[in-house]
Amino acid sequence: MCSFKLFDMERIESLADQIISQFKSLGYDIDRNEVVKRLKLLIHEFKVPENEAVRTVRNWIIKEYDIPREKIIAEAPLVKIKDITKPGQWVSLKAKVVQIWDSSSPSVSQVGLIGDETGIIKFVIWAKSGKGEVEEGKCYLFRNVVTDSFQGRMQINVGRTSEIIEIDEDIPLPPREIEVVGALVAIQQNSGLIQRCEVCHRVMTKGICPIHGKVRGYDDLRIKGVLDDGENIYEIILNEDNIKELTGIDLQKAKQIASERLDRNAVLSELKKMLLGRYFKVVGVRGGRYLLGRSVEKIEGVNEEEIDRLLEVLT
Amino acid sequence: MNGIRRREVARRVFAYELNKSTYRFPREDEKSPTYVLTPLGVRVNRIFLVGALLDKEEIKPDSGIWRIRVSDPTSAVYGYVSRFQPDALESLMEIDVPELVAIVGKVRTFEVGARIFVSIRPEYIAPVESEVRDYWVYETAKHTIERIKAMEKKEDEDVKLAWQIYSPNLNEYRAVVKQALLTLKEGVVAEGEEEEEEIKEFEGEFEFEEEEWDLSDILRE
Repeated sequence: MCSFKLFDMERIESLADQIISQFKSLGYDIDRNEVVKRLKLLIHEFKVPENEAVRTVRNWIIKEYDIPREKIIAEAPLVKIKDITKPGQWVSLKAKVVQIWDSSSPSVSQVGLIGDETGIIKFVIWAKSGKGEVEEGKCYLFRNVVTDSFQGRMQINVGRTSEIIEIDEDIPLPPREIEVVGALVAIQQNSGLIQRCEVCHRVMTKGICPIHGKVRGYDDLRIKGVLDDGENIYEIILNEDNIKELTGIDLQKAKQIASERLDRNAVLSELKKMLLGRYFKVVGVRGGRYLLGRSVEKIEGVNEEEIDRLLEVLT
Repeated sequence: MNGIRRREVARRVFAYELNKSTYRFPREDEKSPTYVLTPLGVRVNRIFLVGALLDKEEIKPDSGIWRIRVSDPTSAVYGYVSRFQPDALESLMEIDVPELVAIVGKVRTFEVGARIFVSIRPEYIAPVESEVRDYWVYETAKHTIERIKAMEKKEDEDVKLAWQIYSPNLNEYRAVVKQALLTLKEGVVAEGEEEEEEIKEFEGEFEFEEEEWDLSDILRE
């Protein structure tokens, strides 16, 4: 949402000081008046959001003072995921790719989750960055990536000046697995019998891949859903194996349902009928709002002892 | 700050506690979510409920607005479904009452005179097996017991507010939870004599004035 503030010269001064001290640490003395003037113009006159204004001024300084890009990003320190708490920081990190999602935006080359022993974080590789693709299960050094905050959560962005280097090291994920018992309260629309692009495996919409356009696709079965235990929500992904185990519907059967009803969406309705509102136990690693399930099973009733234990508390 | 709000957790609250909730938090702006404070001090926006769908009835012929009544072992609660909730409406049309259902929905309040009533605006209604109901009763009992403990401690801000507004008799809630849990034991059925009496009374009042209400607030997104 937009928030409106009165023009605040003090704020501009402090933003200017931040920018100047950043460049000072790199050995550059920047003309403060010029920075203030530019910030004032962007924020006050042009009503540009603060972060955009700061970015613009930074870029201007880099050009104006002819600062080599390496110089700026060479500073990016090696960090652990749990230390990533602020947006706009240049960092490097070693992590394992734990999940790759489908990107529906042509400007995003890849999106998913990476993890190290301290946590899990979302990553975005922008198409413009021209960086190679990563593979699930492999470990990489992500050099010079920028931290960012999206919908209130931290992520890292891989851009043009970043580097992704595969490493021969097995980065462990957070050691503690958690067990969540919750109800499946929502299933997202792009679930059920889906089509993936033969080239990049992204989910296609109406036979169109967001990157490759009209190409051949292959069928797959998956569910993106929300597990809710009354205290927290967890986004989970169920693959074909999970779905088969829980519903008895595998890819073959899904295709059969679709052809019998002449409607691919019939599979999603069928899966919703069988899964929504049911309780599941998911064991896996939690990262932010995501739960990477190692195992998923349906809860069938309650055992008597649990009930007796609660009754005891009440008396 | 953030354009998109975090998804609201679906709270587990017995209908008995929900029906006694009369306090709605003032909204920050038009778009901020509605929260209701229950007598045991939990802020509720979304709810997950498993119970028996007892009635479904179009409030006026061809209005496309359906009133439903769902009961868990403690009490019954009302809900409204319209074309603004297409998923819920679609499944509702396929269900013959009575049927055991799981409902994911938003809690809505409406005022009748000086009284505030709670209703549910389902996002999804799914017929479910009795094991799901059993687990829900167990889980909701567990959460309610946690709330009772928090009420005893009187630390949390919402808990303090609940004391101020409702000053609940915690033993009454203990008894309700106990009764609900006992229905999970083989061969025990819900007593609910008094409850039924109360529901009937409530229903009478409900139907009498309904025509004059502006339901738009309950139904729209």
